Amino acid sequence: METLIQLKKVSKVYEGAGMSGAPKVTALRDIDLEIARGEFMAIAGPSGSGKSTLLNLIGTLDTPTSGEIFFEGRRVSSLSENELSDFRLHSLGFVFQAYNLIPVLTAVENVEYALTLQGVPRQERRARALEALHWVGLDDNAHRRPDLLSGGQQQRVAVARAIVHRPALVLADEPTANLDSKTAKTLLDLMLELNEKHQITFLFSSHDPRVLETARRILQIRDGALVKETAA
Amino acid sequence: MLRLAWRNIWRNLRRSVITVASLACGLAAIMFGQSLIKTIQRQLIEKATGVITGHLQIQDARVKEYKFPEKLIDDPAAVEKRLSAIPGIAAFCPRIKLTGIVSSKHDSLGVLLIGVDSALDQRVTTMHTYTSQGKYLSGKPREIFIGSLLADLLKVKVGDDVVVMAQAADGSMGADRFKLVGLYHTGSGTFDGQLAYVDLKSFQEMLAMDGKANDVVIRLKEPDNQPTERAAITAALAGLPVQVLGWGDVDHELVGIQTYQNAILNIMLLIVFTIVALGILNTLLMSMFERIREFGVLKAIGAKPGWILRLIILEACLIGTVGAVFGLGLGCAMIKHYGRVGLELPLGEAIGYFIPFDSILYLKFNWGMHLRALSAVLVVCILSGLPPALRAARLKPAEGLRHL
Repeated sequence: METLIQLKKVSKVYEGAGMSGAPKVTALRDIDLEIARGEFMAIAGPSGSGKSTLLNLIGTLDTPTSGEIFFEGRRVSSLSENELSDFRLHSLGFVFQAYNLIPVLTAVENVEYALTLQGVPRQERRARALEALHWVGLDDNAHRRPDLLSGGQQQRVAVARAIVHRPALVLADEPTANLDSKTAKTLLDLMLELNEKHQITFLFSSHDPRVLETARRILQIRDGALVKETAA
Repeated sequence: MLRLAWRNIWRNLRRSVITVASLACGLAAIMFGQSLIKTIQRQLIEKATGVITGHLQIQDARVKEYKFPEKLIDDPAAVEKRLSAIPGIAAFCPRIKLTGIVSSKHDSLGVLLIGVDSALDQRVTTMHTYTSQGKYLSGKPREIFIGSLLADLLKVKVGDDVVVMAQAADGSMGADRFKLVGLYHTGSGTFDGQLAYVDLKSFQEMLAMDGKANDVVIRLKEPDNQPTERAAITAALAGLPVQVLGWGDVDHELVGIQTYQNAILNIMLLIVFTIVALGILNTLLMSMFERIREFGVLKAIGAKPGWILRLIILEACLIGTVGAVFGLGLGCAMIKHYGRVGLELPLGEAIGYFIPFDSILYLKFNWGMHLRALSAVLVVCILSGLPPALRAARLKPAEGLRHL
């Protein structure tokens, strides 16, 4: 299978905060990892193990202290701020634990925002945003603001926002942590369906057994190092 | 972006309303202050130029003390002939202004004597409109018109004779008897107690200055065109040994008052602008700190630092625009109201000691200044938006997302 992401000896060290005298924290150490296009995989591990840090580095939301990250063979760890923004805008989608929708925008406006940033014409982006909401089963709530939606509905809007621009990779950080079992299952089934139908690669960070049951490949991380890999 | 910015500013309704209200009140206060100061200045200029200074004056080229010209114009007739051909001039009047003495049976007082052609003077100045008893100079020989305060001090009444003395052209003391035909009352202690108007021809005879004048005072059709008209008159009088002076050259005190008032206005503007700037800065900073996580999300989605910067600046501009619209409305309403009913200020008596001045001010718009204030408010808004905008733009997405 075609390699989508490659990490070579990636480490992340958080410097101690000046006056407080806090010590350096090594969040990740010498991570080597390859993710193929179309995978549906999870990074598992206890809290503080480095799951979110790894996801942030792959998502270029943070920069590694050492090592290199390649996306489709292109080294992304050395891109400028604006190049990274462009990269995220076109190639990545994010789903966060706390949904992180823009509260002043309606569901459809939230979903179409990436398309707005891409400069897609108004009518086209609205049509694509409504289509994405249709995929996640939220046609009837397109014009509601997030505060009028349930947690599960908000997370589905977040998924629609993550996939509306057809990214190569969706990074989902603890996407089911705030959801009940039924809603979590529905959401995971939905993401699996999107993975299969549209060949979108999904990478989760989670310690939720429901996510780990659904994932086809699981990487176990502990104290900032990959310790085990299991395949479904 | 506009939609997001607009909704963002109304996210915390109470805070935004307070900011917009303070901005609107600030702008309205600035407009009101500008209008008030400029109305006072306009009235001062109108009164000063209308009563004595005129819009422009012609004096001998050698004169150094413009308020009390010490030299006579050699050939006033030649000056008058050339002035007659200039279309921008409404009227002009040759005068002799000299310090002298007016004596009654009871007292003698030093005054500024102004010899005028009554018919011409009435077209140039408004002195005749202040007549309180008797009448203004009629053009008959040896008539005098003095202020009510001077009459009280000299203990004279209309119809009485007074003796006028001043230094003649040959250095001797000229003196003559004049009939008091009328009194004026301007409310200004200086004008009512220290000025006396006499018939020009009689005054010239008394001083052996036949046909002479030491200034020719001019009223323009359009006072605002003073610089253009001054240039035209200077060109028309080329070759004659005279100089063309504006009211500002002659009346330094008036220019001083204006400078002082402008300084007060500028200090007031600075204070108001600082308050407005701090208000907006506070609102935008609070709004930014509340939304750090959101900026992290926007950056994660793909918003560039410049885009975040523009978003916050746009929010600042929108707050500024809404505040400016309300401020403009409030300022216009206040100026319009006090332009109609008038604003009574005790200021009139204070300034009135030097120049006749009405205590009721009818405010007028000064759109040039108002638009400058409006632009300044918007610039202040943009500048206030810069610190939070730069901070948000520099934020790392992961830092933003970690923010609780």
